[in-house]
Amino acid sequence: MTTRRTWMIAALILAIALVSGAGAAPPKDAIVIGLLAEPVTMDPPQITDLNSARVTKRIFEGLVAQELGSYKLVPGLARSWEISKDGLIYTFNLRANVTFHDGTPFNAEAVKFCFERQLNEQGPYYKTGTYPYVKGFLGNVQGVEVVNPLTVQIKLKAPLTPFLQYLAHQSLFIYSPEALKKHGKDIVKNPVGTGPFKLETWEPGVKVVLARNDQYWGGAPKVRQAIYVPIIEAQARLAAIKTGEIDLTMDVPPDSLDSLRKDPNITVAESNSSAVWYIALNTRHAVLKDKRVRQAMNYAINKEAIIRDILKGTAIVSSGPMSPVYGPFHEEKTTRYPYDPEKAKALLKDAGYAGGFEVVFLVPESGSGMQQPVEMGTVIQAQLQAVGIKAKIQTMEWGAYLKKYLDGPDMAEMSWNPSIGDPDHVTYMLLSSDRFPPAFNAGFYQNARVDELLRKGRTTVGDGERAAIYKEAQRIISDEAPWIFIDHGRQIIIHRKRVQGFKLHPNFDLVLTQVWLQ
Amino acid sequence: MLFGVSVLVFAVLHLAPGDPAAIMLGAQATKEDVVRLHRDLGLDQPLVVQYVRWIGHVLQGDLGRSIPLGRAVLPEVLLRFKATLVLTAGALLIAILLGLSAGIVSAVKQYTWLDRISMGVAVTGVSLPVFWTGIMLIILFALQLRWFPSSGMSSPYGSGVADVLWHLVLPAVTLGTASAAALARLTRSSVLEIIRQDYVRSARAKGLAERAVIARHVLKNAINPIITVLGLQVGFLLGGAILTETVFSWPGLGSMMVRAIQARDYPLVQGGVLLIATTFVLVNLVVDLLYAVFDPRIRYD
Repeated sequence: MTTRRTWMIAALILAIALVSGAGAAPPKDAIVIGLLAEPVTMDPPQITDLNSARVTKRIFEGLVAQELGSYKLVPGLARSWEISKDGLIYTFNLRANVTFHDGTPFNAEAVKFCFERQLNEQGPYYKTGTYPYVKGFLGNVQGVEVVNPLTVQIKLKAPLTPFLQYLAHQSLFIYSPEALKKHGKDIVKNPVGTGPFKLETWEPGVKVVLARNDQYWGGAPKVRQAIYVPIIEAQARLAAIKTGEIDLTMDVPPDSLDSLRKDPNITVAESNSSAVWYIALNTRHAVLKDKRVRQAMNYAINKEAIIRDILKGTAIVSSGPMSPVYGPFHEEKTTRYPYDPEKAKALLKDAGYAGGFEVVFLVPESGSGMQQPVEMGTVIQAQLQAVGIKAKIQTMEWGAYLKKYLDGPDMAEMSWNPSIGDPDHVTYMLLSSDRFPPAFNAGFYQNARVDELLRKGRTTVGDGERAAIYKEAQRIISDEAPWIFIDHGRQIIIHRKRVQGFKLHPNFDLVLTQVWLQ
Repeated sequence: MLFGVSVLVFAVLHLAPGDPAAIMLGAQATKEDVVRLHRDLGLDQPLVVQYVRWIGHVLQGDLGRSIPLGRAVLPEVLLRFKATLVLTAGALLIAILLGLSAGIVSAVKQYTWLDRISMGVAVTGVSLPVFWTGIMLIILFALQLRWFPSSGMSSPYGSGVADVLWHLVLPAVTLGTASAAALARLTRSSVLEIIRQDYVRSARAKGLAERAVIARHVLKNAINPIITVLGLQVGFLLGGAILTETVFSWPGLGSMMVRAIQARDYPLVQGGVLLIATTFVLVNLVVDLLYAVFDPRIRYD
């Protein structure tokens, strides 16, 4: 009998220990952020995913930065810069007295070192990583020259206006050369930058802890620590933010947003983003090559209903590749495609397809930025069916899907979340004929005027002239309907009321420098 | 056998459609960047060459480096495996406690309401998918009642054994109940078979208390098939852990593997599968040895 009693007492103690732990709240000066997954790597030029960028951009900085809340470029590690008349030479005047977290100085040599690590295949540090974007972002760089310790010159092979925006992308951020020499390939888990936070600990799969950099040149941030935990399941993120286990998170089940908005302890922060969700149409397909058919497909889809019923209002209707966050570059007066099945039928009749036709419709099961791909695909299929178009859905897993997507499908869902704040990075990347598969113009869209404009936009300097170029391109693209334009997802960040001063950034970054805790 | 596993996992992974470079690069991929990445990762070589190079390194204890993580595979999988073992052990404990007791009670009280209820629960338990049970437990115990945390293995702030145990409860119950159900049904039939034997009647006839009859005579003879199934259950739990870990963001091998498969991170998936296969072989060896411990008629010379 004694053994049974001992067991019961032990169980009781355990139960008390367990339940008493339930009240633990986050410390006063540390913000806990629930990410969708843990960071993959902390070496800036090797980052390809949003979770890594969201953490690592606190540790590192680029020569130029984006103003919080917009794509406007502001000084970063460079105080100022000049671009030569021919658009080939970029001269950067660097900030003085900036040090890396390891105490070594930031200077022109460090900038040259970081760029040459990726560029120079024969260089001593090339093999310390693989650089996914080197050709895309640095392929046009002729060389990097140290003029003096605080002045660095980058020479381009040909003028490329978006280059300045590339410098605000993490793959061209500056890290401590000494740290790279010391850690070699293990630099991926030993980040040393100049940013407002530095890495304190990283327990893989468990958490990343960043500590405030008291020596930060821009003034130390107000929160002492930023703790990032991966929470894969949406329901679990919802539970964690509601109970106060975490302070800030994203991508909770859309059904729960209404109840979160009513929760007195929680703020739901929303803004438009640069994301675009579309269905690429194969412009070489026997039927889809007819513009009237593609326009008909746009009229056949009730985008408002998809946004209201499936996405629960977390997006806005799209009528072109660029969302309103591009400000002066965004064209409001494009061809619109309100839900109009009768007009769709008339257009199909005009084109000689009154009896409809059959296409294969690729749908991924899930995927980065894909919202609710299967539900949305099913509704789109039904609405196309209503005007006589039989779309046969084929679903597959994301990795396999990406391969199939670049294989010339009839029609296929895709989304794009540009990490570069230049209009070139949406239009040229996805719709120029220079970008046929294996690049991402999967529908082989080709229009001579659009090609001309997009190439011109890349080399033209001056926002006014560029805005006119991109507005004309958007008008043509919307009218030609190479895609079924569906939506621009809104970014939604949920945080506890104690988090103050948080502001959304169009490229989904989570900036903490100005945040404080109540 | 492990060699077979290595060939199989390598072939299945590399023949599956998808390309780690394309997944990493996304829409801003340039053709030059894809070609360059393939070359730097050695993916431009013929499959046989890639396999021989990989297995050669494996035999020297080098599992390579993860493609997107850039970190060495062996320390990475070992670290994650520790968390998986904690979860599996917790689940196994729950499976044994629940499964054995429900099975024994059912057998001893055959055809009573107790038997019907526990077998009813067991059938339900076997049929419920763990991701569903997991999400239901999160909604009930984390979101509504707030007794347990919703995810992770420890609090973002603070740590300690009690903290880990507190985080372990929901995932271990999720994973353990499915296994407990299978175990309960087997224990019941195994005990029922023994309980009708003559020597059990003799034991009762000589006046032994029912408790002693069950513990000393029935269970000891019924235990071998139960151990066999327990061994198999460890494999089931390691597999089930993949889903459970994803639902609860448990930092184990399973949740890591799901991500690695999605990213076509060949070295990491191969390393993880080899580790799981090795564990499974070892567990089966232990089960074989346990037979001899419980049944003196079995001897290994």
